[in-house]
Amino acid sequence: MTTRTGSSPAPDPTPAPAAERRSWLRDHSELGVCVLLLALGVLVLTDALTMDVDITQRGPVGPRTVPIVVGMGLLVIAALLAVDVLRGGRGEAEGGEDIDLSEPADWRTVLLLSGIFLGAAVLIEPVGFPVAGALLFWGAAFALGSRRSDRDPLIAAVLSLITYIVFDKLLGVPLPGGPLMGVL
Amino acid sequence: MRLRTPLALLGAAVLVLAGPPLLSTGSDAETGTQIPGLRFMVPNTPGGGYDITARTAAKNAEDAGLTHNIEVFNLPGAGGTVGLSRLVSEHGNGKLAMSMGLGVVGAARSNHAPKTLADTTPIARLTEEQDVVVVGKDSPYKTIDELITAWKKDPGKIPVGGGSSPGGPDHLAPMLMAQAAGISPKSVNYIPFDGGGELLASILGNKVGFGVSGVGEYLDQIKAGELRVLAVTGPERVDDLKDAPTLKESGYDVDFTNWRGIVAPPGLSEAERNKLTRLFEELHDSPEWKKSLDQNGWDDAFLTGDEFGAFLDAQDKRVVSVLKELGL
Amino acid sequence: MNALNSLMDGFGTALTPLNLLWAALGVLLGTAIGVLPGIGPAMAVALLLPVTYGLDPVAAFIMFAGIYYGAMFGGSTTSILLNTPGESAAVVAAMEGNPMAKSGRGAQALAAAAIGHFAGGMIGTILLVALAPTVADLAVDIGAPDYFAIMVLAFIAVTSVLGSSRIRGLASLLIGLTIGLVGLDQMTGQQRLTFGSLQLADGVDVVIVAVGLFAIGEALWVAAHLRRAAAEPIPVGLPWLGRADVKRTWKSWLRGPFIGFPFGAIPAGGAEIPTFLSYVTEKRLSKNKDEWGKGAIEGVAGPESAASASAAGTLVSMLTLGLPTTAVAAVMLAAFQQYGIQPGPLLFEREPELVWGLIASLFVGMVLLLALNLPLAPVWAKLLRIPRPYLYAGIMFFAAVGAYAVGGEVVDLVILLIIGLVGFGMRRYGLPILPAVIGVILGPNAEQQLRRALQISDGSVTGLVNTPFAVTVYAVIVLLLAWPLLKRLVIRGRPRADA
Repeated sequence: MTTRTGSSPAPDPTPAPAAERRSWLRDHSELGVCVLLLALGVLVLTDALTMDVDITQRGPVGPRTVPIVVGMGLLVIAALLAVDVLRGGRGEAEGGEDIDLSEPADWRTVLLLSGIFLGAAVLIEPVGFPVAGALLFWGAAFALGSRRSDRDPLIAAVLSLITYIVFDKLLGVPLPGGPLMGVL
Repeated sequence: MRLRTPLALLGAAVLVLAGPPLLSTGSDAETGTQIPGLRFMVPNTPGGGYDITARTAAKNAEDAGLTHNIEVFNLPGAGGTVGLSRLVSEHGNGKLAMSMGLGVVGAARSNHAPKTLADTTPIARLTEEQDVVVVGKDSPYKTIDELITAWKKDPGKIPVGGGSSPGGPDHLAPMLMAQAAGISPKSVNYIPFDGGGELLASILGNKVGFGVSGVGEYLDQIKAGELRVLAVTGPERVDDLKDAPTLKESGYDVDFTNWRGIVAPPGLSEAERNKLTRLFEELHDSPEWKKSLDQNGWDDAFLTGDEFGAFLDAQDKRVVSVLKELGL
Repeated sequence: MNALNSLMDGFGTALTPLNLLWAALGVLLGTAIGVLPGIGPAMAVALLLPVTYGLDPVAAFIMFAGIYYGAMFGGSTTSILLNTPGESAAVVAAMEGNPMAKSGRGAQALAAAAIGHFAGGMIGTILLVALAPTVADLAVDIGAPDYFAIMVLAFIAVTSVLGSSRIRGLASLLIGLTIGLVGLDQMTGQQRLTFGSLQLADGVDVVIVAVGLFAIGEALWVAAHLRRAAAEPIPVGLPWLGRADVKRTWKSWLRGPFIGFPFGAIPAGGAEIPTFLSYVTEKRLSKNKDEWGKGAIEGVAGPESAASASAAGTLVSMLTLGLPTTAVAAVMLAAFQQYGIQPGPLLFEREPELVWGLIASLFVGMVLLLALNLPLAPVWAKLLRIPRPYLYAGIMFFAAVGAYAVGGEVVDLVILLIIGLVGFGMRRYGLPILPAVIGVILGPNAEQQLRRALQISDGSVTGLVNTPFAVTVYAVIVLLLAWPLLKRLVIRGRPRADA
């Protein structure tokens, strides 16, 4: 698990061709995590400091104390993580039964899956749970590589409808039924 | 073979589109008090006060044959403000009602909610309940005067425990008490507890100076002698606690009663509004509801229509004035 | 003795054929509904409340007891099999249970959970019978400073789940703490990180965080790196606990209740913290440390047993004090009131038949639960044999159902997806998931108790250490922290003593 570049603390940037810089960035993409943590820390701190506290505070701990501590912690950990990454430390990507880490990440699938989930969330109120749920299941199965278009929609529809019946009819947890409610 | 895909798609579409409406129970005639598809929204979690009120009312209305299948659902959040926002957004929906109470009035104000109860259609006030001022049995305070004298001396040293977040009923009651006793509400050391459980433990263990809570909640502990009632907050003594004085007769000008009621979305037609009000009037007259009132120890406080609207308005003003004094 | 006699009478009540039927029905319904996503025990009991309307109180509560335990077990089932905990107490079960299920030991994980629930429930109920009045009195004495001390202990314990890189573990914990900050400040009602949205005012539900990080995060992660080669179906393996498994877990089953029961009984206890503490304890004591995170069976057995015992503890406070310490207890309390019965100090005198019948039916319910679910474990485990696309599509589908069904808010689904993406990123860069979930659970609790303690003492810091209980806990913490140092001293000292 040796890293190709970046083991030297200061890779001189002057002659670096674009390709090399890109590969340095790819190797150090974990710095993105540091940036996110930093941003989160700043967000938490801003939120805490802009909070107007005019209620009488008793003792050293008010509504801002914990957010300030957490925000500071985020900043510190972002810095420590950055140092660790620049020194060559790497977070180990999680393995697993269904996971093949030798291939590069398949971003298309991830985006597709997120998009389908978001789409279903938006559709749930206008078209009802059974439709949105079925689209979610079918879409997710499709994104994950199932191409049985003669079978998948039916599975999705049945699953979604059964879930609707169990929640809405049997348990009394209301789910939107769809545009045809009250028409048929 | 090619044909199977469109067939599957068609089948799936029919299932998900036509399934739910076909499964729903046929349309009931909209006669008398019957409101088919009526739903009660509960703006707090299962087991909470509004939840019990709504579920009891729904069950009693069904048992009394006033209407069937009232669907009760919970939409908790921000002390009822999330439910309130949803209710207001259901403009003109005559098949929805929300159980609520003083707590929602307070939460809408303290959370600076964009919608208040003035945006809803008031239907009925159902029940009311006084608050009690209680201490543990080992507490040094034997009477309300002893307590308030000590409280006045150093408000910070006498933490007050209540079951609601700032703005809620158990918060307002001690603030009004403080005002009446000449203590600045700002110096009151109020500690909110979620639900009655932790609060009760804190009162029993004398962790807080005194506690404020609904009468019904701790009736048993009071009867068993675990808790001592120093006063009740309403205008008259409570039947179950004849020995406990009202704050007023003890010389503190406080008249505070918590209540629960029903509101509906804005923009209802006159007919829709009357229909909902009718339903609750009939419910109020039913023996089932009377029995529930008795079982739950609720006091009947039935009030409908514009009178209830005026009452809501007055309560809102009162909450605002207390909160303003606290700087919330 | 008196209690024993009353209990015998209680068994007389519970063991009538009809009441047995209600108990069985309760367990069955509870498990079935607990398995559904987003429906934890509290919701299950609330939803099934109407079912019991027609029954007399004794039968209704016997059924409730069954539903309660059944729903808790049902929640763990989805946690183990699908990595989607149905409720917060079942979060820990996913940690070791899901890896076990993935490697074909799902049946064993479920069996360990079922027996854990049985052991926890049994021991918990025995403690309930033996200690109810004493525990109830003690519970009242536990106050905010004591809770805070326990939270500090729990935070120290988090360090043992930070994973191989401390920095990344801490980063994950901080992410969890940040999520925990979202919402109205419980003490003053100030909005924190809500950006003015009322939907965020009550914070982000732990279950949504757990389902997002575990289930959605994993589905996305798998999507990015799905093995395109035809994957073999997950083997089902032995349908039954092997001798080696039992040897490893029997102590965990027995230890769990002693962590879970006290937490259930105290007013701010609940089941999340004891399950987590039990997990950490088992990890510390385990001889197979390298298996942790990859499917150590003790990590399922201990916490499940603790969760079930904590449920029994909950009943102690509810029956003897009328103290609802958890949401389930609050719902049950409401149910009691429906029948015009007020739990509290007078309940045992007023309604002995009901109370002892209920307690006896807890024992009966546990036996039924085990009898029903143990044979079902291998059947459930077969669920994982369905093809991968369907499996992960199903996980996404049920995660969405769970998040939506509870509040009926589309916002919850969006939050779920965002947290899922965070979970994806955390997997990519080796940030462990568990500390984040623990942060969400512990953070708000610890803050609330700290501030409450300080308010009770009117701002004086001595208010944190003015109870014997808190002092004891802090002493234990100091000992734990100093232990590595002490051990070194002892080891260094020993040769000298020998010489």
